[in-house]
Amino acid sequence: MSTVALTIDGREIAVPKGTTIFDAARLNGIAIPTLCHQQNQTPVGVCRVCVVDVGARVYAASCIRECEPGMKVQTASAPVVQARTTLIEMLMADHPTPCARQERSGDCELETMAAAAGVSQPRFARRLSPRGRDDSSLSIAVDHEACILCDRCVRGCDDIKKNMVIGRSGRGYTAHIGFDLDLPMGSSTCVSCGECMVSCPTGALTNKRVVDAQLEGDRLDPEWILQLPVFKGVSGTFLELNQGAVVKRSIPAGETICREGEFGSTAFYILEGTVEVSINTPIGHVQQQDAGGLSRWFRRIRSTLADRQAHTRTEESGRRYIPIDAPVDLPYEKPIAELAAGDLFGEMTCMSFHPRSATVRAKTPVVVLEMLRNVLDILQKNKTFRAELDRKYRQRALETHIRSVPVFAAMPPDFIGYLRERVELMRFSPGEVIVRQGDAADAFYLVRMGFVKVSERHPGGDVVLTYLGRGSYFGEMGLLGGGVRTATCTALDHVDVVKIAGEDFHLMLSRFPAVREALEKVAQERAAMNQRRAAATETVPIDDFLNQGLMEAQSLLVLDLEKCTRCDQCVKACADAHEGVTRLVREGLRFDKYLVATSCRSCRDPLCMVGCPVGSIRRRNSMEIIIEDWCVGCGLCVRNCPYGNLNLHAFGARRKATGCDLCMEHDEPSCVYACPHDAAHRVEPLTYFGGMLGIREQTAKGSTEGTSK
Amino acid sequence: MLIDRSHRGWAMASAAILGAAVVAYVPYTLRSAPPGGGTMLGLVYGTTAFGFMAYATLLALRKKFPIWRIGRTQSWMRGHLWLGALSLPLVLLHSGFLFGHGLTSILMWLFVVVWASGLFGAWLQHTMPRRLLREVPMETIYEQIGRVRAQLLDEGDAVVADACGKLEVEVAPPRPQLLPAASAAGPAVASHLLVSVLRTGSGGADAGAPLRDFYLTEIRPFLEAPSRRHPVADAAAAAVMAAKVRALLPPALHAPLEDLANLCEEERQLLRQERLHGTLHAWLIVHVPLAYAVMVLAVVHLVMALRF
Repeated sequence: MSTVALTIDGREIAVPKGTTIFDAARLNGIAIPTLCHQQNQTPVGVCRVCVVDVGARVYAASCIRECEPGMKVQTASAPVVQARTTLIEMLMADHPTPCARQERSGDCELETMAAAAGVSQPRFARRLSPRGRDDSSLSIAVDHEACILCDRCVRGCDDIKKNMVIGRSGRGYTAHIGFDLDLPMGSSTCVSCGECMVSCPTGALTNKRVVDAQLEGDRLDPEWILQLPVFKGVSGTFLELNQGAVVKRSIPAGETICREGEFGSTAFYILEGTVEVSINTPIGHVQQQDAGGLSRWFRRIRSTLADRQAHTRTEESGRRYIPIDAPVDLPYEKPIAELAAGDLFGEMTCMSFHPRSATVRAKTPVVVLEMLRNVLDILQKNKTFRAELDRKYRQRALETHIRSVPVFAAMPPDFIGYLRERVELMRFSPGEVIVRQGDAADAFYLVRMGFVKVSERHPGGDVVLTYLGRGSYFGEMGLLGGGVRTATCTALDHVDVVKIAGEDFHLMLSRFPAVREALEKVAQERAAMNQRRAAATETVPIDDFLNQGLMEAQSLLVLDLEKCTRCDQCVKACADAHEGVTRLVREGLRFDKYLVATSCRSCRDPLCMVGCPVGSIRRRNSMEIIIEDWCVGCGLCVRNCPYGNLNLHAFGARRKATGCDLCMEHDEPSCVYACPHDAAHRVEPLTYFGGMLGIREQTAKGSTEGTSK
Repeated sequence: MLIDRSHRGWAMASAAILGAAVVAYVPYTLRSAPPGGGTMLGLVYGTTAFGFMAYATLLALRKKFPIWRIGRTQSWMRGHLWLGALSLPLVLLHSGFLFGHGLTSILMWLFVVVWASGLFGAWLQHTMPRRLLREVPMETIYEQIGRVRAQLLDEGDAVVADACGKLEVEVAPPRPQLLPAASAAGPAVASHLLVSVLRTGSGGADAGAPLRDFYLTEIRPFLEAPSRRHPVADAAAAAVMAAKVRALLPPALHAPLEDLANLCEEERQLLRQERLHGTLHAWLIVHVPLAYAVMVLAVVHLVMALRF
């Protein structure tokens, strides 16, 4: 091999031909500072911190400049150091001090270098336009402010790991690292291998540790974890950085792993043994005891639990399966199922912090991996694991999932078999649009996990039509109607959907007229409901009405404060009617001369529905909110209601969520009936306040008082 | 309850009953002596009046069982108002406008007081809610006023501590019975114990001295023990005081001063609410017990009159 002789800092050396100045200096114990260059990556010479004087017109970047015979190199002369210091100072001018990495471990390469060079306060002005942060990934935090565009992450991702996710986006001042087609990292095809994170010299890409998470169980060695088939292909670097985020637990038979309604933050993967998944809360909706005849004049309304056999309500959903946070649904009649080795449960709790949807008990001695969301996120992005999960879903859960939708309940097994391999399983990140209003309708979707927000565009802004959880479906209106999407569906959290292509959907309708009929009926009801809502969302001139969310309400309990003597008869009546626990509080915001009391408003944007782990709170087609009988009493809807209008009602040791039931057993809500001063009214706000707001009467629905049933 | 057009039906029915009663009464007065309680017509007047009074008294029972479906409470209330009002003229017609002696006299005078207090109550219920609506925009639930006051005091301390760097105040311990010295001395002494509390904030101490002094000498005592006689209880006087303090403060401390002014306004409104609420309901202390007394005496009067 031919060699090249040159002088570096006065020392004569010989190196193989093709060696860069940087490597030649390093081989001879001369350190040249650099930021963009690492030994395991191809040099690109973008940071220019490694400049040296080679006696030419300009300084050369030593990491890419090859040695030449007779070359005289100065790596630390005063002008070179001056130039290098100026470069560091310019980089520091755009770098937040201290960055996340410097704060956490004190080893941000740029800040360390700046400190060594004596650069504290850069003389240059900071950039005016912030580049922002990206927290969409569960395992890696992206701080574009701290990025110095050295491209070490780009080379780590593309050259070393061959994932081809990270690249450059934008130009000049707007230049930044981008993921895929400049998507948020969490929405990109990034597999969270962690290579970019370990390559990054600053705090631009840092590991998101789950703070203070102490999982009970055996801490696992990353090497051992990587031996598990389920972790095949997962980055060892990531596991090193997140030790303790996944533990092994051995649970004896009969022990409870998690309970329905409890909040948690972990998912479980069964390595050995069998677990039993069940709902122990009695299946029954809260029913007002029917006191017939003369006695109803004097009897209190008693809240009791009634199941579907004992008391059928109008628009009963007819659901045969209860959706839970596991790869199976529970049969309504006997809500118990089993999971075995290779099954994952608790995904929704882990990813979106929803309450546990069911109680899981070890049927045999079991060994499980309990993991935090960053580990689960890595697993879900692992193609091998994802494919295995999807295969199991198609095999075991797709059928019950399709049957859990009442209109598909009678679908024959052969057709489900036909669909089994044809459906597409898709995943969406929070905020991602699944279908957009006005686009061509080409598919039908079943929600497999997470919550989907359905909204409609109007001149006054977007209006939320509903939230759909597991077991719900959307997309039928576009397919049945004019072939155009009538609403926008957006992932509210981590959403998995089953996509049935348009042609399969139409084939299904042609083969099963009953399904077509049922779907058309639902589509008509939804269309009518949307129309009513659209009519009610014309521009309202009074800000207060909007600011207080009254526009969102469909039924309000209002107290006319010109008549109300603050005698609290309404509250007493409500408490008397509901076993001593009032469902209204005579407190709230004022609108004009009215007090809007805290009592269920049947909101148009029912936030109470978001996150219900078993999907038991829903909207009737009359737009009222009702709570189905498989409510597990976790209280999330109570917490989610922005107005404090929902309660938890105790039935022995178990609880069920309740809202104002309008005293359905009677002609009029007790609060209104008991008001001695004609001050309390149940009203439909747009109708009741229409005159005051200058809104023409939109709906002929109900009277203005006490009839919101 | 607003006495408005919606009462027209009751008003006309009451007027018709009163008119009929007066029309029936006139021939008696023209031909002979006024009909006494013992005459047939007098008995009719008396019985009708007693029925109306009994019905009016039953409103209390109706309110005790608000969910009984025996007619809307609102209808009972209207009946209570109009038939109750009608009962006094009928009683006067029954007695021939004489107040009698002994039991009868006591009964009559008591009844007049009940009737007048009822009329006064109806006027209060007609006017006071509107005053409350107008004058107390920050109204809260009456029973929660104490809790809101504690919050206002705490907020005031926090605002000043933040603005001035620190604030040393003396507060009554929340649960004196938990203090060993207090429990030994008994609850009466314990309730007077004070604990010195040092709150720290982020502001500079020197610039905020006028604000802190103003708070400690004027505002905090008002928030701690609200009284209508306190200078800050008068909005205009409080504004003048605040303007003087504002002149001594750097611009950065104008916002905390404004916050304190808002807390004082809320406290003034709570005082006003207490007063109006008290006025709105105080008349019942007279009206209700006397109404029961009247009913008892009326029954005694009925028994005595019919038996003897």
